[in-house]
Amino acid sequence: MGLHKLRLAAAVPVTFSSRLFLKPFTNTLTLGLFSRHLQPRNKPLLVRAFSASAAVQDIPATQTSDSSVARPLWKAAIDFKWIRDNKEAVEINIRNRNSNANLEAVLQLYENMVNLQKEVERLREERNNVAKKMKGKLEPSERERLVEEGKNLKESLVTLEEDLVKLKDELQHVAQSIPNMTHPDVPVGGEDSSAIRQEVGSPREFSFPIKDHLQLGKDLDLIDFDSAAEVSGSKFFYLKNEAVLLEMALLNWTLSQVMKKGYTPLTTPEIVRSSIVEKCGFQPRGDNTQVYSIDGTDQCLIGTAEIPVGGIHMDSILLESALPLKYIAFSHCFRTEAGAAGAATKGLYRVHQFSKAEMFVICQPEDSESFHQELIQIEEDLFTSLGLHFKTLDMATADLGAPAYRKFDIEAWMPGLGRFGEISSASNCTDYQSRRLGIRYRPSEPPQTGPKKGKANLPATKFVHTLNATACAVPRMMVCLLENYQQEDGSVVIPEPLRPFMGGIELIKPKLK
Amino acid sequence: MGLHKLRLAAAVPVTFSSRLFLKPFTNTLTLGLFSRHLQPRNKPLLVRAFSASAAVQDIPATQTSDSSVAARPLWKAAIDFKWIRDNKEAVEINIRNRNSNANLEAVLQLYENMVNLQKEVERLREERNNVAKKMKGKLEPSERERLVEEGKNLKESLVTLEEDLVKLKDELQHVAQSIPNMTHPDVPVGGEDSSAIRQEVGSPREFSFPIKDHLQLGKDLDLIDFDSAAEVSGSKFFYLKNEAVLLEMALLNWTLSQVMKKGYTPLTTPEIVRSSIVEKCGFQPRGDNTQVYSIDGTDQCLIGTAEIPVGGIHMDSILLESALPLKYIAFSHCFRTEAGAAGAATKGLYRVHQFSKAEMFVICQPEDSESFHQELIQIEEDLFTSLGLHFKTLDMATADLGAPAYRKFDIEAWMPGLGRFGEISSASNCTDYQSRRLGIRYRPSEPPQTGPKKGKANLPATKFVHTLNATACAVPRMMVCLLENYQQEDGSVVIPEPLRPFMGGIELIKPKHK
Repeated sequence: MGLHKLRLAAAVPVTFSSRLFLKPFTNTLTLGLFSRHLQPRNKPLLVRAFSASAAVQDIPATQTSDSSVARPLWKAAIDFKWIRDNKEAVEINIRNRNSNANLEAVLQLYENMVNLQKEVERLREERNNVAKKMKGKLEPSERERLVEEGKNLKESLVTLEEDLVKLKDELQHVAQSIPNMTHPDVPVGGEDSSAIRQEVGSPREFSFPIKDHLQLGKDLDLIDFDSAAEVSGSKFFYLKNEAVLLEMALLNWTLSQVMKKGYTPLTTPEIVRSSIVEKCGFQPRGDNTQVYSIDGTDQCLIGTAEIPVGGIHMDSILLESALPLKYIAFSHCFRTEAGAAGAATKGLYRVHQFSKAEMFVICQPEDSESFHQELIQIEEDLFTSLGLHFKTLDMATADLGAPAYRKFDIEAWMPGLGRFGEISSASNCTDYQSRRLGIRYRPSEPPQTGPKKGKANLPATKFVHTLNATACAVPRMMVCLLENYQQEDGSVVIPEPLRPFMGGIELIKPKLK
Repeated sequence: MGLHKLRLAAAVPVTFSSRLFLKPFTNTLTLGLFSRHLQPRNKPLLVRAFSASAAVQDIPATQTSDSSVAARPLWKAAIDFKWIRDNKEAVEINIRNRNSNANLEAVLQLYENMVNLQKEVERLREERNNVAKKMKGKLEPSERERLVEEGKNLKESLVTLEEDLVKLKDELQHVAQSIPNMTHPDVPVGGEDSSAIRQEVGSPREFSFPIKDHLQLGKDLDLIDFDSAAEVSGSKFFYLKNEAVLLEMALLNWTLSQVMKKGYTPLTTPEIVRSSIVEKCGFQPRGDNTQVYSIDGTDQCLIGTAEIPVGGIHMDSILLESALPLKYIAFSHCFRTEAGAAGAATKGLYRVHQFSKAEMFVICQPEDSESFHQELIQIEEDLFTSLGLHFKTLDMATADLGAPAYRKFDIEAWMPGLGRFGEISSASNCTDYQSRRLGIRYRPSEPPQTGPKKGKANLPATKFVHTLNATACAVPRMMVCLLENYQQEDGSVVIPEPLRPFMGGIELIKPKHK
């Protein structure tokens, strides 16, 4: 498909600060470890925000100074050879995506690691040779010399093997911040550079003064932010009366539509191990994290069902015949929304907890581009059925989170906000997540190069591609529906497709007090 | 209604250990503070478990020994101490019947001390005022000097005593919050075995083939995935898949539509709440054996039931009588650590860390709570009868009541795979236990008959509302019942008729072709 994919990560800061204490040894290479790359630092690094744009954030000092984070709990299967052989493309990609990944450090550490590995292997061979020599008849002085040499070799080997483990850990940490490669059609630049793929409908013209969804929610007794502020904090809410039925109708209708396309419905755990969050490319820790952590455990709350669904097939080898796996998962989502402020954070637009139906596809690499198109088509069909005015955007490089190879956002017209607002996002993550989650498949056809059949000649496993896309983020859909379908008398019309899913209700009318 | 209600609390351990340093002072009473009651201790205290029975748990040492954190309560229950003092014997018997570790003697002693100290403070204030008054007249210089000195002494003493009073009130609050609600006179006294059967519906289905439990059915029909969830989240988490997702939605939709017909307002709620709300509802958000997940770095935690955020909606407010009753049916996800749970009854969906639930909640006038309790149980029984379940309703015995409940009815349904009855719902009348903590009052619309005049100054006094909560549908336990009871010999599962319109007309969950 002509896709220049790169299997890398980006969400992990350069935190690894252990020193490699290489003891001087006769036959050891001077490894020249660039320890200046390995110092804790507070430079901004690219992390993936849950919402549209990739946020540049400071790495908190508590994280970088804590050397207990030294050993990574899991490793991404990063293709370092590919990075080395495509250095220029990777460098340009890092720049285009506004990433702070340090490619030079990665390449240097990789070279050091390769050299150290060679040296370890050489020493092992030498030790074996010494052991072999000692099996024969020897002068006592010669035997003594060999014993001494073997002892020295063994000591050096132990030291170097320890160094190798540390170096590999260090490489892993530094390399995980390299973002996925980018689809060649993605526009290069910031948010303004994003290209419109499609625009549907036109803004409704109102012949009366309109209300925003907050006002409608209050007047129709549908949403209670005030009580939630007391009970939970700001940006939490209760849904009430018809709004509860509308949420259920939106989710039921969405599930039934997406299931028709062959997607398997799921509900998911909403508490997951932090490592799963990391493997999906999110940052569960730090001052600006979007992730709520559970006190006293290594668990956190999910910000999207993408995380638990991505984890279902973790560390497994799937049959080619099992692919594609297409899921539509319903979950509640929890986000700290640290750092969020401004008008776009009013009311239901940005909240700490919401319901969402999320699509997730696991497929062979050659199919991911067409499934990306399928996902966007499903989204566009859903929103068209609800009569929304929206545009689909091919998001520019600087707006991509680290895992995305390409991302399409849909922005819908929100009359109360007076602008378009993001209502969905569809990302092709190629093998960025599968290399972290360890999801492979075994092609069913043996490779043509192998002349013989049999177990020894099984085709090699490959990493699957993963894609995720919003089918229905309830609160933002509610903003659209309430604001776009409001009537002059203060009532709100329910779009026809949803009516059968909410007991035939056609109109939300003001309650009589 | 002849109900001997007591407005007390029970979830807060005796953690308050500040000392009152009463300085010797001429006119001060010897207050005799029983500081032995106030020492941190590791005795078991009654806390409220989410599930059926009231658990007796140790208070963790970290909590009791940290006096700097636990010292000042962040909120106060409006406990009726006079009532407790005047009904000492009934309260004592109630504490014993409910297997509570509340220390009534300490409460009464602290209350007496507090009343005496309050009187002393008032006496000193009056004396100080008298001195101030005297000094306005013409005086000999020596007499003025004496009065200045006396005024100064009085002021100093007053400052000290007022500080002591604050501390004593805090201490009283902490100790008194562990006193449980009073108990309905009809509730059987004793442990779990003493619970009385109110009603039994249906009979156990007889199977002509070897049956599977819901775990096996869930695997064979590709409905439930515990294995992946164990890797991703931990044990006792699960994914629902395929028809199970539709079944969950159908259960919730059908339940909501049925309960709304009875005039209940549907809600969805926040699932992260401040810890204080959890406490005010009578749950214990902290400690080694807590059922509550806390959020790192905040004072927030995850709800174990929608009862908590719904109870909080009208917190610290005075409702109009005409607004009552408020009847809610709330849908939420629930999160529970299930610390300490073990054994066969914890297998599969029976005991899990996260689940969906529709919960009813009623706020009403005190005289109506008994009839609303009956309404809630009737709704539960009607729902489960419609689904064709075999179940019994139990009037739970005293030792099985959580601290907030004045009376509690549990419904236990037959689970063939488990081979026994299992709890599927619980309906509690908390009378004013929660409202005295949450501060939910109402103002009666009729002025009291004793007041001869009308007008603002003569508004009827506010009263505390009563609160009730009852499970309408706890999804995983309903699934256990439906899968195990409606399994067929060919491995399929029949969907009960009322649910079919809510899941696209599906009548049968069939084994998938692989």
